[in-house]
Amino acid sequence: MIEIDHVSQVFQTSARQDHLAVSDISLTVADGAFVSILGPSGCGKSTLLYIVGGFVQPTMGVAKMKGKTIKGPGPDRGPVFQEFALFPWKTVLGNVMYGPRQQGMKYAEAEAQSRALLEMVGLKGFEAFYPKELSGGMKQRVALARTLAYHPEVLLMDEPFGALDAHTRTRLQNDLLNIWERDRKTVLFVTHSVEEAVFLSDKVVMMTRSPGRIRQIVDIDLPRPRRRSELLLDPRYQEYIVEIERMFDDSGEIELSP
Amino acid sequence: MTKRAAPFLACIGLLVLWQVASLALKNDSFPTALEAIRAIPAILGDKDSLVNFAASLRRMTIGFGVALAMSIPLGLLMGRSRIVASFFNPLLMVIYPVPKAALMPIIMLWLGVGDFSKTLVIFLGVSLPVIYHSFEGAKAVEEKMLWSGAAMGLSAPQRMIRIVLPAALPEILTGCRTGLVLALITMITSEMIARQSGAGNILFNALDMGQYDTVFAMIIIVGAMGIGLDALFERIRAYLVRWSEPQFDIPLSFS
Repeated sequence: MIEIDHVSQVFQTSARQDHLAVSDISLTVADGAFVSILGPSGCGKSTLLYIVGGFVQPTMGVAKMKGKTIKGPGPDRGPVFQEFALFPWKTVLGNVMYGPRQQGMKYAEAEAQSRALLEMVGLKGFEAFYPKELSGGMKQRVALARTLAYHPEVLLMDEPFGALDAHTRTRLQNDLLNIWERDRKTVLFVTHSVEEAVFLSDKVVMMTRSPGRIRQIVDIDLPRPRRRSELLLDPRYQEYIVEIERMFDDSGEIELSP
Repeated sequence: MTKRAAPFLACIGLLVLWQVASLALKNDSFPTALEAIRAIPAILGDKDSLVNFAASLRRMTIGFGVALAMSIPLGLLMGRSRIVASFFNPLLMVIYPVPKAALMPIIMLWLGVGDFSKTLVIFLGVSLPVIYHSFEGAKAVEEKMLWSGAAMGLSAPQRMIRIVLPAALPEILTGCRTGLVLALITMITSEMIARQSGAGNILFNALDMGQYDTVFAMIIIVGAMGIGLDALFERIRAYLVRWSEPQFDIPLSFS
């Protein structure tokens, strides 16, 4: 369980002014839940994720993981970034094996496990490739496999599909759901796409524009396993999207992309 | 095919131009290209000059090696730590524009005219571009890459060696390549100022004695050495960073 308790984050801008990025956020994420944080760009939603990751220390408040205050990054929380952040000097296999090897796993075991993971994310045959030889979608598949490889309890996904074209994005969303529905890790997923948030999540946390506050939390009560073809025909799915978009419209925060 | 032949054609063109200019000017201190080339075997066949070349190469290797061993860690630390950078930056800014050979008289005064002084000048010449490029390379390392490493459990020193170093390697090696050429330049210059041994010693002694064909032959030899070393380094560099994006390709090379 992740508990975010009255967290605020202040940044210094280049003009040496204080900028309140996140303001007094409290949120609890249950084990095994898929929770999306949805909001316009610049609302501090990524900052919130970085705080849970331990990459950024909150100015005020605390974030806890299993009751313990988060003080820094750790292998129990695995990030997946929009920028992929792969190690370009490592092959695809080398990238995926990096975490397990760091955790002290034997080479042969790490290799076997990584090969299986790569097959699962649809990259069998690309083990010896370098990241520069892959498309954006493939890079993000490697990044996901690399993070899954060290078995984090929580996946922290920071607009992971934001840099991809619409088609690739849809395919990765489907594949992520398939993978997630198998082992139900806790996922904290940052996005600015209403449709993506509704499609994937159990819970959508809507944030306001800067400074970021929680505006509303919407429970997405749609059956799982979810299939896009079925959901698109489901009026409740459409209603969630319309409801959320309308709430953003009302506040004048209409710069959400579909 | 044309791409590979182009540098050699350029060399031949230069030699032809030289030959024609020399024949037209008919100046004693400007031998023809053929005369200069004819003088090369005599130099390379002479045991004394080989000892000189060996001394030059030894100093260059040590100066270059020690410079890399110290400059790369310093540059990387500067790139990742604002405190280290703000301490060393002003210092390097002052040293940067000073021609390292201009320090030679002072260094000689303090440390003598021996190997140590000359190696030190080479060391200084190589250090700055390597520090600068290592610094830039380390500074440009993507934060999220380091975060990914931290999440896997890499400590700060481990991230430095296992993420910052390889990620900055293309940039570091660009600095090393500049450093290699500067090592050659400072090597010859130092031997010119403190004449005792070395390739620069042969060159300037010949100049004093009016053996102009030897002077020009030495220029060709030293030039060829530079081209050869650079080509060799470029091969190694290209292999080490075969994984990197092509923006780091340096097309200007004989390799």
